[in-house]
Amino acid sequence: MIAFGAALNWVREIGYDFIGQHEQDLLEYATAQFRQIPGLHIIRSAAAKASVLSFTLDGIHPHDVGTIMDMEGVAVRTGHHCAQPVMDRYGIPATTRASFGVYNTRADVDVLVAAIYKVKEMFGS
Amino acid sequence: MSDLRELYQEVILDHNKRPRNFRVLNPASHEAKGHNPLCGDRITVYLTVVDDIIQDIAFQGQGCAISTASASLMTEALKGKTIAEAERLFEHFHEMVTTDQEPPSGMGKLAVLQGVRDYPSRVKCATLSWHAVQAALNRQTDPVITE
Repeated sequence: MIAFGAALNWVREIGYDFIGQHEQDLLEYATAQFRQIPGLHIIRSAAAKASVLSFTLDGIHPHDVGTIMDMEGVAVRTGHHCAQPVMDRYGIPATTRASFGVYNTRADVDVLVAAIYKVKEMFGS
Repeated sequence: MSDLRELYQEVILDHNKRPRNFRVLNPASHEAKGHNPLCGDRITVYLTVVDDIIQDIAFQGQGCAISTASASLMTEALKGKTIAEAERLFEHFHEMVTTDQEPPSGMGKLAVLQGVRDYPSRVKCATLSWHAVQAALNRQTDPVITE
């Protein structure tokens, strides 16, 4: 409870506007980088969305992506995210999902992108 | 990176890209489905067993590199084996991917999956096809579910 109180104070100090802006900046920065990666498909591209990027890589299952990225120090969520009907809608078994918070930086996005290239290198794609 | 190469060895990447015995056996004397709801991996295994010997074995399905390669390597390992030999091999395989002991001898190419033991969340990927074969041999009608 004490930690939660401190966390809330921290969020209030920074302010929701700043947090929102920062997350949108990271989302835009990452989206632009992802679009350069051959064989990567971003799942959904709504104009207004939370700073979450779900994606697939041609020929590489998200669980393999997740294990390799983990070893590269990047934590992502993989799988169907308890949203099987959506996965069926896109005809995919699962996705890899990266999310950005106020504590992330553009440098973190660069590490994320480098890790994706590592995955592709390992699978020779 | 060296650790990862231990998990994703060339043999595994090759069997993932070009899975062996990746087809439907029709007719098959035994068949069963395996499903890993957390991963979404789905597999169906088919066997033709004559006089207790696995004459032919094949699989279909989709999953990660570990589950696909494991299923592919399993079909190669089990073809021509008796049911008792297959069961013993599964025991040894399970031991290899879940304990730190030296893998039992006679694992052949299956030994490339030894690296899985360092990734507990991936053990179920490697064993899904084996569980499905066990279910098929036991004439289990419900899909095997591993989590």
